[in-house]
Amino acid sequence: MRRLLWVCAFIIVAGNWGWAQKDNPVVDAHAVMATDAAHSDAPLKLAVLAQIAAGYHINDHKPSLDYLIPTEVKVDPGDQFTVKDVVYPKGTLKKFSFSDVPLSVYEGAIVVGLRLQTGKAVPAGTYTVKAKFAYQACNDHACLAPSRVPLNITVKVVPQDVPLKPMESDVFRRLKFD
Amino acid sequence: MEEQTPSENTPKAQETPEVSPPEAPPARKPKLLAGALLAVGLVVGLYFVNRYWIAPAVRAQTRTPAKADANHPLAPQFSLTDITGQSLKLSDFQGKVVVLDFWATWCGPCRIEIPGFIDLQRRYAGQGFTMIGISMDDSPEPVVDFYKELRMNYPVAVGNDRLGELYGGMPGLPTTFLIGRDGRIYAKHVGAYDISVFEAEIKELLAASPTGEAKNFHQAGRVFDEDKVELGDPATIDSEVPGVDITKLSADQKEGYKKLLESQECTCGCKFSLLKCRQVDRRCGYSRKTAQDQLEAFLKAKSPGTAAK
Repeated sequence: MRRLLWVCAFIIVAGNWGWAQKDNPVVDAHAVMATDAAHSDAPLKLAVLAQIAAGYHINDHKPSLDYLIPTEVKVDPGDQFTVKDVVYPKGTLKKFSFSDVPLSVYEGAIVVGLRLQTGKAVPAGTYTVKAKFAYQACNDHACLAPSRVPLNITVKVVPQDVPLKPMESDVFRRLKFD
Repeated sequence: MEEQTPSENTPKAQETPEVSPPEAPPARKPKLLAGALLAVGLVVGLYFVNRYWIAPAVRAQTRTPAKADANHPLAPQFSLTDITGQSLKLSDFQGKVVVLDFWATWCGPCRIEIPGFIDLQRRYAGQGFTMIGISMDDSPEPVVDFYKELRMNYPVAVGNDRLGELYGGMPGLPTTFLIGRDGRIYAKHVGAYDISVFEAEIKELLAASPTGEAKNFHQAGRVFDEDKVELGDPATIDSEVPGVDITKLSADQKEGYKKLLESQECTCGCKFSLLKCRQVDRRCGYSRKTAQDQLEAFLKAKSPGTAAK
């Protein structure tokens, strides 16, 4: 049995090393909601969680130089929602060999907050909010073409008498909406 | 019973003394459970290590040192209009050493190379050399502004995705090709390099015979995997479904496949059909991958195993 466990461990390690060779995108992003559903005529908070691959950075939403392409979350709220607020994180100032001045960039994991308003007469049902996480990434010697991660966020609108359950509290606790 | 210790003078095997069976070992279930939990924990831990550390590091370190590429293919021809309105054709520079620089105004590493390229143009243009800049900006306006600001002294045109694909796709910008007098690509550099690297290669190519290959050419600077010259396949690039080679499909199959792509929306958020997205946004990795997967599925459904002509 001990031998079997060692064999299993070997297989697990060997298999996982194979995963390391897979091609992962430079930026992964997905969206989460602050509640499990929404009410009509009420605010709805969402967050886009993005993970930037080690060694790369993307530009701050307000880039340090005017020729840099900003990071942006573009939302198509559809007929049921309106966008009230998009909250971007503060970038990190970093000096690169290709710039005389430090640049404000995002690295690692970042969170962008979205505040939508559900329409007044939106009936109960399931709706999709489409968004894109648009970015342009560089490492310390080369830049990748501008790219985007599509986000399809499923929002369930429930009657007013159905309570909403909070979700992802840790994420939303750190976001400051106006 | 006491275990007997064998004597050195023991002539032959002694009878095995009778011993009582050993006590039953402690229950193995807790150990097995612990082992199983350890294995699960190992898998989960390795997943996160791979996901957030190893794989990103592997991607970040794609600059794997490599041997200089002995393959010197002919540089794909192109015909553009430069930003001053003049015709810009690679064939017009046959017999000259060309540094073909793919860059963009939004690319910091690209911008810092430009002053060095201006200097190279100034010093070597009279010796049969020229720089050519291909901007991968979406529009000419920022390129024109930058061209004027830096007083660029060599031809610059706004390129397109098709040209980038002909030159093997742009793994990153800047991507720079060294083309010899014979029209062959002798070196490729991805990323910003010190100008001395290009100068060393230009000198070597200028010294080569005008008609033949530059034998014993040495690529300067460090060579990485991404610097290998791999040109695009025109059949795939100029396909009716850009990025997907459908030359082996019959006319009917092509129509069926294109209808299939027209019936599905691309998931990149463009709201176009897969076919339209491929045609208007060659860079879209979602429509390219989906179209390629759909071709495989289409061929399996229509003609299992082979694509009939």
